[in-house]
Amino acid sequence: MKIRTMRLLSREGVSNVVKNKLMSLASIGTVVIALLLLGLVLLVAINVKSNMDQMRKELEVLVFLNIDINDLDREAIKAYIREREAAGEVASWKYESKEDAYRNLQASFSDPALLKGMTSDQMAESFSIRLANPEDGAHFIEPLSQMPGIQPEPDGINYPQQTLERITGFADILNTVTLALMGIMLVISVFIISNTIRLTVFARRKEIEIMRHVGALDSFIRMPFFVEGIVIGILSAAAAFLLTWRGYGWTHDTLNLMLADLGFGMFILVPFEPVGMRIVLLYFIIGMAIGGIGSLISVRKHLNV
Amino acid sequence: MIRFIDVTKVYANGVVGLAGANLHVGKGEFAFIVGESGSGKSTLLKLITREETPNTGEVQVNGYNVHAMGRWEVPLLRRSLGMVFQDFRLLPNRTAYENVAFAMQMVESLPREIRRQVPLALGLVGLGKKARSYPSQLSGGEQQRVVLARALVNNPAVLIADEPTGNLDPKTSWEIMNLLDEVNQRGTTVLVATHEKNIVDAMKKRVISLERGTIISDAEKGRYEHED
Repeated sequence: MKIRTMRLLSREGVSNVVKNKLMSLASIGTVVIALLLLGLVLLVAINVKSNMDQMRKELEVLVFLNIDINDLDREAIKAYIREREAAGEVASWKYESKEDAYRNLQASFSDPALLKGMTSDQMAESFSIRLANPEDGAHFIEPLSQMPGIQPEPDGINYPQQTLERITGFADILNTVTLALMGIMLVISVFIISNTIRLTVFARRKEIEIMRHVGALDSFIRMPFFVEGIVIGILSAAAAFLLTWRGYGWTHDTLNLMLADLGFGMFILVPFEPVGMRIVLLYFIIGMAIGGIGSLISVRKHLNV
Repeated sequence: MIRFIDVTKVYANGVVGLAGANLHVGKGEFAFIVGESGSGKSTLLKLITREETPNTGEVQVNGYNVHAMGRWEVPLLRRSLGMVFQDFRLLPNRTAYENVAFAMQMVESLPREIRRQVPLALGLVGLGKKARSYPSQLSGGEQQRVVLARALVNNPAVLIADEPTGNLDPKTSWEIMNLLDEVNQRGTTVLVATHEKNIVDAMKKRVISLERGTIISDAEKGRYEHED
């Protein structure tokens, strides 16, 4: 196809969007809704995932040492942790001495009388370790549990394996549901757009017939509808993005204040900027894809004069 | 130019469009195709333009088997055929000039060519002065002239007219038929399906008569033998 023909046919497609204002608006409306739902699903997923990642990162392996541990055993445990840190498995770790433990305990009781008779000697030293990859817990703990100087089970090594499994399981379900919802949304959108284009095809059947009679190639006949679909997709994406941007900004500010007020400060919505670019791209790619595919489907169905 | 060899067309609903038709129309001929409604006139024309395909037999245009053509070849076939219809089929939101130019744009003619050919074609049908009028501003006869200009602008080898005067008064019908005759004088093969007994009888051209899908007569300088 020559460039001037492409220009001519594209102009045709763009002007169709304007000419069929009502129909275009209706389909832009539906595609915007589909994209917004998609965006909503995505933003919820991103937020849940971000908060879960945070929770996972905060999961710690707690290792309590025997009260009468000797220096050698303690150093061996420290060496093991350092070695794993060097291998990149340990993100960070902290050692808590008997004195630290006693001070922390003191701080947690408002009435010092409750600690009467207790000395720091009775406290256990401990290590708290954050793993780089919390799923590797078992791999990290296995050798550690064999080392001398650690309190016997079940108090010695504390790792919230169950919590982790629950979080991971929930994340898996969330991912699946997100993908399924997205898929359904896409199919619905394609259906809606192809329906709209079908109306345009119907409105322009006379012109299509004339095009065929004068010997226009099929690609010429398809082109304006394809462009129309793409333009509807682009306009929908732009509108959906504006709404998402504004809507999420407002929700972000309001909800974060509310969560903080209610004492759920550890749950926060991620800011829009880092995910915004992804959403723009997603909206435009998907908007254009469903516009283009939808129009091709409906033109294919109705081109056989 | 156009050849039908034992062509049969039966529609999906069982209606017989054409039954074992044999026909040859040579280059530069002028032929009327007459018959009652449903006698197969339109089917015959649609088989030439490949809007329909035969169940058996072969339709040849320019020596090519129309039925055997690939989908991509059909537009090329249609470029060699000019078409005129009873219901005009003009684009209402384009001027006469734009309607004719549209046919050239669709075959990717050069803009220079379009600017030269479109006024020529409109001049040929006597509408040189109405180039800027929209179809709604033109009379039925004038609209059909625009259609004729559009059909001729790409210099087709064959002009096919399906009831071109069906919506026109007798005087205008004559004008259109005379124009078709003129086109034929310039070397274009012309096929006209029509009901116009008076015109057919007066023009003394070849007449192919159809009845229930069968060619019942084919006469040089023939007459319209049916009463509708």
